[in-house]
Amino acid sequence: MTDVSEVFLWDRLNMQLVPATLYDGMTQTQIASATASWQPWVDDYVAVLKQQNVHMEDWPQHAHWNWNRKASSVSGLLAYQLLGIECDGLMQGLMLTGTLGRCKISNQAGNPLVDVHFLATAPWNLRSFVSQPRFGLVGKILIVAAVQISLDNGFRGRIGLHSLKQAESFYLNDCGMTDLGIDTGPEGQGLRYFETTPEQAKIILNGARQ
Amino acid sequence: MGKKTMTLNLTDAEMKVLDQLSEQKDLSKTSVLRQALRLYQAVDARIAIGEKLFFEDSLKQKSELMLF
Repeated sequence: MTDVSEVFLWDRLNMQLVPATLYDGMTQTQIASATASWQPWVDDYVAVLKQQNVHMEDWPQHAHWNWNRKASSVSGLLAYQLLGIECDGLMQGLMLTGTLGRCKISNQAGNPLVDVHFLATAPWNLRSFVSQPRFGLVGKILIVAAVQISLDNGFRGRIGLHSLKQAESFYLNDCGMTDLGIDTGPEGQGLRYFETTPEQAKIILNGARQ
Repeated sequence: MGKKTMTLNLTDAEMKVLDQLSEQKDLSKTSVLRQALRLYQAVDARIAIGEKLFFEDSLKQKSELMLF
């Protein structure tokens, strides 16, 4: 089942907010369509990086994510939700969340939270791909959606995620999440872990309402 | 998404555990049961395709959780 709601993205071309659609519960067809529109941009960009002998560590870190496989692996499972934002007829961002995670911040350790397993913005919205990104606020709205899922589940807005290095500043500074350092455990894969308290979640939500 | 209501009959012992989990996890009883359902389904789906569920202690010793 899919829930649909209206959100607003920042159109960087026309410098104005534009309506977009947030899908909570994406179909595999929608995912396939989204990745089909993203892949040529990724392939072209990677080809340029290869030509320029740019080291793989400096490539966009989520370029290799296979959203079709992710969607297939969680299909039908209640613990996972796939969300997407559509605008201008194209999927502008995707997110996979889960509800089986546990908090790590000491005063809420062990309490349930919403894990943001994967979050990606369409390549044409990223400064690392294009000099003039098309839409802004995609990541922020998906994080707000994750907080809302947390509230809907009675988790008081607590969310957690392991960030790719290129996105650390976004979660720390733009979202105001707590940085718990590099997670050296098996699920951390050497990535930095961020988490919200209920108070931080309120700030994220209030920011979205302004 | 639409929601349905059901009456649940629990023993005293089950209700006690539900109360404890609700308090420990800072969740309503409904949320605890919804979490339990999600976890059960996720684990069962992995077991159904032949995977095993292990717990690891502080000495990295693994023990398999048997599900029937």
